[in-house]
Amino acid sequence: MKVLVAVKRVIDYNVKARVKADQTGVDLSNVKMAMNPFCEIAVEEAVRLKERGVATEVVVVSIGPKAAQEQIRTALALGADKGVHVETDVEVEALAVAKLLKAVVEKEQPGLIILGKQSIDTDNNQTGQMLAALCGYGQATFASEVTVSGDKVEVTREVDGGLRTVALKLPAIVTTDLRLNEPRYASLPNIMKAKKKPLETVSPADLGVDVTPRLKTLKVVEPAKRSAGIKVASVEELVSKLKNEAKVI
Amino acid sequence: MTTSSSDAILSALRQAVTGKVLTDADAFQQYGRDWTRKHEPAPLAIVFPRSTEEVQAVVKAANELNFKLVPSGGRTGLSGGALATSGEVVVAMDAMNKIHEFNSADRTVRCDAGVITKQLQDFAWEQGLYYPVDFASAGSSQLGGNLSTNAGGIKVIRWGMSRDWVAGLKVVTGKGDVLELNKDLVKNNTGYDLRHLFIGAEGTLGFITEATMKLARRPKNLSVLVLGLSHFSYIMDVLSAYTNALDLTAFEFFSHRAMGHVLAESDVSAPFAEEAPYYALLEFEALTDETMETAMGLFEQCVEAGWVVDGVVSQSETQLKNLWRLREGISESIAKHTPYKNDIAVVPSKVPAFLNKIDAIVSREYPDFEIIWFGHIGDGNLHLNILKPAALSKDEFFRRCEQVNTMVFETVAEFRGTISAEHGVGLLKKDYLSYTRCPAEIEYLKGIKRVFDPNNVMNPGKVIDL
Repeated sequence: MKVLVAVKRVIDYNVKARVKADQTGVDLSNVKMAMNPFCEIAVEEAVRLKERGVATEVVVVSIGPKAAQEQIRTALALGADKGVHVETDVEVEALAVAKLLKAVVEKEQPGLIILGKQSIDTDNNQTGQMLAALCGYGQATFASEVTVSGDKVEVTREVDGGLRTVALKLPAIVTTDLRLNEPRYASLPNIMKAKKKPLETVSPADLGVDVTPRLKTLKVVEPAKRSAGIKVASVEELVSKLKNEAKVI
Repeated sequence: MTTSSSDAILSALRQAVTGKVLTDADAFQQYGRDWTRKHEPAPLAIVFPRSTEEVQAVVKAANELNFKLVPSGGRTGLSGGALATSGEVVVAMDAMNKIHEFNSADRTVRCDAGVITKQLQDFAWEQGLYYPVDFASAGSSQLGGNLSTNAGGIKVIRWGMSRDWVAGLKVVTGKGDVLELNKDLVKNNTGYDLRHLFIGAEGTLGFITEATMKLARRPKNLSVLVLGLSHFSYIMDVLSAYTNALDLTAFEFFSHRAMGHVLAESDVSAPFAEEAPYYALLEFEALTDETMETAMGLFEQCVEAGWVVDGVVSQSETQLKNLWRLREGISESIAKHTPYKNDIAVVPSKVPAFLNKIDAIVSREYPDFEIIWFGHIGDGNLHLNILKPAALSKDEFFRRCEQVNTMVFETVAEFRGTISAEHGVGLLKKDYLSYTRCPAEIEYLKGIKRVFDPNNVMNPGKVIDL
């Protein structure tokens, strides 16, 4: 079975994001970029399926500028077999991403598609769901355990107040949650081997998808700063302030 | 001169400072000692001055009423330098914690001695700059303490020790004089540079109350490699291969045992499945793709030579931080085993022979103790930690460690090394100073102490005895 994994290049989780002075977006100049953490988990899961003999091939796809090839190479170093880079400098919206992925799915014919549940830059949590609808496949989002048996995949999902286990017919879409696995480091020997693995570049036009944004960003602003706390002298003062100033009781 | 009554001293302290004067048992436990646990603290009082003038007033009172002073910073020391065990007055710098003016043209910033290392690092970063002295206790240690012990840490191979970042100091001498040393000048060849006497003096000459620190440009795109070594003896081959081609910002090493404690005590994971007896952690600025290519090429050479069995490279800041935790988490992860710490150094080229010899001694003498090796190997600095078996009492454990110390330090002397690379001498290493400093040199040290502190009020009994 072939597994397709989508990975996104995002601002590094440990970097403090700063808004551009003109409020048109987040400042990405000289900022460390990395693979979206949920996508790392998706790659790890696919590689583990391959190591267990369930998957035969892992194909990794990324949509973005030329530099997104760094994240594809990382995925190849982690154990993926082939990369597909859909090169575009446009900030592609979730629906267009799903359409591009659908085109890749049609070409690659994977038995399982694993995506991160969301990317930490825009936090949309939409792509997996849209891709499932476009492909007409079943979807299991927020996975914390994935077991493939025969032509079915059993997925434990993290839902409010507990876990829910669903069984899907393959091919299917799975989106990863944080507790699914702990991604490994890219080993140096594997990074070197990854350089020799195939990486194919296509354009959105090649895949017949129009990626022109439908939304216009008017303004990006930093969250309001938290004001400093105060000390109160008595319980009475605290209650009075909660009632009259904070108006929470 | 006789010591005045406690009441007279306390009343003088309350006159000298506007900050707190504490005399309760909890405060003594908290402020009366550093991270060492060999001695119990027993100070007379803890005092919190708010300015250089108040520190000066405390020092003058100490000279007049004949009481002793122990300077206290973040109390993260590992040699008992900030221990107050016999009725001293502890002078805590916690209330002097302001960062004063930043000078962007000079790239300097004037700080109070009580500024926490992390506070200075963060301030520098906000200005688009970098304060490069860094170590595991940076979140608690204070600048005054860093300078008094000339703290080193994990970036010394590239950026040097705390000493290298001091543009100027304001000090109160043991006599009670306020001196401004070097006045932040880049060039100032006007005789003895007294600034450097106060750096590393462990508070035996006076108080550092302010420091003007230099800042560096921010490092760009730092990357970390962790390599598994097949045998310790190859570490210097790996080091020279990399230092000949790249400007390393760190070159650390740790044993598999050391890493085992970190993995057991925290949520970090092993760098790779392959097990190696020793690991090296290298950090450098991956400014261009070529730099990374060079690092990769060197890795291939190291594998072909049989020195290295496996390796990983950080692919993100998160991975960089997690890989660093393998090394930086060691001290904390072994703390519960009451480690006996040795902080020894030789010139880097002698490290393999030195480590072999020390390892033979400790394995022979402590067959039942767990030995943990790690260190700033690029600086020739080894941290040898001996863990206390749970069944053994603390006193018996330290007694046995001290027996073997003599053998360890004789080897240090034989290799022309030092008994304390970066932790300082304090109370714990004082008796061994002669393994690194000859008797004539120690006499000069005492002479210097007498010049600045004729009544021996400043941290008496630390580093040297008068």
